[in-house]
Amino acid sequence: MGTLINGIKTEKIMGRSSILKSIKENKPTLISLPEIDVNSFEETINLVEAFKKNVVSVGGSIKELGQIQDLDPEIKNRYPNAKRIFSQISESALGNVQISEQTKPKDLENLDLAILKGVFGVAENGAIWISDEQFSIRILPFITNDLVLILQKKDLCLHMHHAYKIIANRERTFGLFISGPSKTADIEQCLVIGAQGAMSLTIFLV
Amino acid sequence: MSHAKLAEIFNKDEAKVNWHDKALWYVREKRDTAAHNVEGWEYLRDLASGIKANVLSNLDNYLVEFEKNAQQNGIKVHWASNAEEHNKIVYKILTQNNATKVVKSKSMLTEECHLNPYLESKGIEVIDTDLGERIVQLAKEPPSHIVLPAIHKTKEEIDVLFQEHLGTKPSHGDPQYLTNEARKHLRDKFLKADVAITGVNFAIAETGGFVVCTNEGNADMGVHLSKVHIASMGIEKIIPKEEHLGVFLRLLARSATGQPITTYSSHFNKPAPGNAMHIVIVDNGRTEQLSREDFRSSLSCFRCGACMNTCPIYRRSGGYSYNATIPGPIGSILSPGMDMKKHSSLPFASTLCGSCSNVCPVKINIHEQLYKWRQIITKEQKQPLVKKTILKITGMVLAKPKLYAVLGISVRWMLKYAPRFMVYSKLNAWGKSREFPKVENGNFDQWYKNRKNNG
Repeated sequence: MGTLINGIKTEKIMGRSSILKSIKENKPTLISLPEIDVNSFEETINLVEAFKKNVVSVGGSIKELGQIQDLDPEIKNRYPNAKRIFSQISESALGNVQISEQTKPKDLENLDLAILKGVFGVAENGAIWISDEQFSIRILPFITNDLVLILQKKDLCLHMHHAYKIIANRERTFGLFISGPSKTADIEQCLVIGAQGAMSLTIFLV
Repeated sequence: MSHAKLAEIFNKDEAKVNWHDKALWYVREKRDTAAHNVEGWEYLRDLASGIKANVLSNLDNYLVEFEKNAQQNGIKVHWASNAEEHNKIVYKILTQNNATKVVKSKSMLTEECHLNPYLESKGIEVIDTDLGERIVQLAKEPPSHIVLPAIHKTKEEIDVLFQEHLGTKPSHGDPQYLTNEARKHLRDKFLKADVAITGVNFAIAETGGFVVCTNEGNADMGVHLSKVHIASMGIEKIIPKEEHLGVFLRLLARSATGQPITTYSSHFNKPAPGNAMHIVIVDNGRTEQLSREDFRSSLSCFRCGACMNTCPIYRRSGGYSYNATIPGPIGSILSPGMDMKKHSSLPFASTLCGSCSNVCPVKINIHEQLYKWRQIITKEQKQPLVKKTILKITGMVLAKPKLYAVLGISVRWMLKYAPRFMVYSKLNAWGKSREFPKVENGNFDQWYKNRKNNG
């Protein structure tokens, strides 16, 4: 136990040591950790079809593009009123908002649309992994009114066990699985798309 | 007040009870559909149960490992033995950052610690940002369900509430309009907040990171717009490795709402450049529950709410009838461990049908633990005289077959010929709101013997 010179510090140590001591005294004898047998979850299904079905079921939109040149016309078609657009990918020329190190999260308050690259998708739940590497400022995929993610068709995995293998060696800062647009059913269980995050999510598969 | 008394209050509005019952059963059905779509679902539950059992048996080491890794990533780790310490730590961080405005996403732990009233008493504005939680906050009520905080409220009630507090127009409870107005209101709060507080769904020992799941995006809106993020977690939220998230994230949303995964599953490992991230690890009675061999597995719960949605008692008595932070079946085995006197009626608020244990994604034997609490409570606490006497007599009768047969005959005679005030007397609690079935001639024993003779 530390000395009483710094009362706050001592209090902190007390909480920690008393909790750990209490756990040691009260925990059962060691029970071994089970290994995950991923083979139990294997299915032979069409990943693209399953992914598409699940994206729609979670309230998202998805479209396969014949060629990447179709991207901008498709986006304009779907989001005709988007004025302030941030694009993080070179394949789209629609971006007109710049983000630099000086950009503060609050500056993006009125962003209409963000176009980002998805790293990979998960067929079982329509989720896409994105991280700090895809968006330079963390608030971006949440504060934007609408969100577009571009995903390579080959970058799909079956389920979350595969997903965690794929991201096992990433640099861990901030990242997320995003599945559909923000939503809520807190008023009498009625599903409403568009809660506090993005109002819509469109995925373009290339 | 006992669960039965509070349930009686909820049951005054029969139409509302019926709605509540059906709405939650619908969520239960969605859970079933989602579960049946997963190859190896039962194995997944076994894994989750096994991982959590390992966690509880090695909890101190995992917490130390988590702390070390989190600190290496620039996260500040705090420890709180109880609710008071937790609240003080949070307040200290706020004062260090000159913060007066706080946005908070859903965290049952901060409800348990009564953080909001504590901070408000210090002049801090705390805004709950989950829509359901904001609704009950405006109504000055606690959540009535851990996943669906405002499930007890009708849309018309919310309409009136929003008119009063957010200045909305009357809309007959249009969910789209009300949600959109709440979005505008909360947007403003997010932009002005100094500090964001979140809960923790899973904390990973191996990496020192943690995961927060929401559908609304409110946790992320708060965290990424503020300079300081405080995440509060109970000691039992630890999982050993990141790969275990594969197991738990597959189970969580499917069990909770029937979704394949929540909209956002955010993985926090390092604070953003220039920002601060704090974790407060809280005991508050959990190590004591760990000491109770029969009840320790209740600490495996990751708060999906499936046991509430399926429970015939919860669905018809409402969350408030439990008078506890965590209501429903899981709450009824957690709460007596915190305060047995206050919560002594909760383990009896069950039919012991076992449906809760059947849907629990981590396979907690909830109904068996309810039964075990009953035995402890009956021994340690005085039971009502009527209940005690009736149970004693029942035990005597059931132990003597001849007496049972004689009594059976007389009861059937009574039900047929005795006046109503005698049959439906105070001793007959069952008959308070139910009618006995019509009595036919004979009993099972006679019927069985006749059947044998005839055929």
